[in-house]
Amino acid sequence: MERFVIIGAGAAGISAAQVLRDFRPKDVVTVISTDEKVHSRCMLHKYLGHERDAQGINFVGADFFEKNDIVHISCETVKRIDTAAKTVFFGESYSAPYDKLLIATGSGFFIPPIPHFREAPNVFGFRDLSDALKIDEAFAKGRRVFIVGSGLVGLDAASALCERGAEITIAEMAPRVMPLQTDDYAASVYQKVFEDHGCKFLLGIGASDAVVDEAGNITEVILSNGEHIPCDFIIMAAGVRPRIQIALDSGIAAERAIQVDGHLRTSVPDVYAAGDCTGLSGVWPDAMAQGKAAARNMAGVDEAYPKPYPFKNTSNFFGVTMLSVGRLDLTEGADILVHKTPTEYKKAIVKDGRLTGYLSLGDISNHGLYLHLIRNGIDISGKLDKIFRLTFADFYGINEKNGEFAYSV
Amino acid sequence: MKRIFIEPAKCDGCKNCTLACMESHREDGGRGLYTLDLTDPANQSRNRILSDGKGGYLPIFCRHCDDPDCAGTCMSGALVKNQTTGLVDYDAEKCAACYMCVMACRYGVPAVSPDRKRMIKCDFCQHLEEGPACVRACPKKAIEVREV
Repeated sequence: MERFVIIGAGAAGISAAQVLRDFRPKDVVTVISTDEKVHSRCMLHKYLGHERDAQGINFVGADFFEKNDIVHISCETVKRIDTAAKTVFFGESYSAPYDKLLIATGSGFFIPPIPHFREAPNVFGFRDLSDALKIDEAFAKGRRVFIVGSGLVGLDAASALCERGAEITIAEMAPRVMPLQTDDYAASVYQKVFEDHGCKFLLGIGASDAVVDEAGNITEVILSNGEHIPCDFIIMAAGVRPRIQIALDSGIAAERAIQVDGHLRTSVPDVYAAGDCTGLSGVWPDAMAQGKAAARNMAGVDEAYPKPYPFKNTSNFFGVTMLSVGRLDLTEGADILVHKTPTEYKKAIVKDGRLTGYLSLGDISNHGLYLHLIRNGIDISGKLDKIFRLTFADFYGINEKNGEFAYSV
Repeated sequence: MKRIFIEPAKCDGCKNCTLACMESHREDGGRGLYTLDLTDPANQSRNRILSDGKGGYLPIFCRHCDDPDCAGTCMSGALVKNQTTGLVDYDAEKCAACYMCVMACRYGVPAVSPDRKRMIKCDFCQHLEEGPACVRACPKKAIEVREV
């Protein structure tokens, strides 16, 4: 009987636990997590917006651990791994021996070195359910919110709180909102819809200092132009960093992220890593895929994990939907094609007959093939006249054996 | 486990399957094609018959894939591959309308609901004892349910 231990209960950790249980029905699978409850961090805004409770943002059933006979040790942070004795240590004096270990610690929010920001008790991340709980508590006392960063996380927090009547200021260093996913036009559409809901944006500007009260709480943010913005609390949404401390403390190779090979093995035998902590990608589907692939390798299936294609996202704020795949910023030597109507905006970046970036704002139904075309570098040079109307009919094929579709290119 | 098998060569593009899908999923309580509002986006079909540009037709139906892109990307747990039935089940209550499934399906099957609060895809007409309405409506047997 083998003992599998997983550190972390996010997308990678939970999907790994499920696969291990499926492959090894009789072995022991244990998940140790700092989080009390399993939750989807992509749905935290639903919790913060009081649209759903904690169970409502659980992405597996409430009975997941029971049903799958998986041990869940919650509210415990693994402090040390003794890789020679193959044991993890957590809590006051607890330990768990393992035969195979998966590190799926995810990533944590990052606070830039702005004076007072790292120490102030009213500066929060928006990453874990515990962060949302703290914000909820702070919001009961004051409604003026300063958000640093207008990426998906910052806008998620803003959309949740402005529905509850917050007074929101969002500072973004880049000259437009959601700078990684948008172009200027798409950004202006989102900016307007947030402004219509009462949010205020400060673009191309950052926080450089703060005024604090006697408890160290930030009461005013000082911008780089010297302006003071009063606030009751701050949400940091200026990026994340892989959580690698446990690896560094345990002699597992890591620099900015935990190093893994093509099978998601770390530098130490029988220790694997998956999800954000590997730095391979920061999006949910890739974390799920890595968790599953790592688990299959742990269970003895020899499976290579191909490098993920991380440039992909969708957003849906106030019913404005957008799909953004590939690199919209790499336009040198490329053709930029645009389609614009009152309700739709589409943009394709084409280089050497291949799609390298695609943006669609409006009805994004049936758009999935664009990600496939970009990720696989499929030649579309003969189809440029209908670039915005491509469907699977343009690549139609059927796998006769199982009846699934297959691309014919 | 069952799947709707497609034989494009048999399809003559009549779109009876499309109408049957719309009728099967209408939410206005009515019955019969004569009262089905074909212009209401709420009644949109989950299958599509597209032209191959050469006079033929290419049916696009959800494959309920063995390793589904959509369920693999779902961050709410709304889309799940049912290991017993083989279907990719969808729970609208759980769905957060993030539309990562729309982005992930390489065949472009999932659609966005008109209110942008749900996704729309084939549910194999699990509410009908006799099985998928599209298959029964096809006069050419270009689509049929087979065991896989």
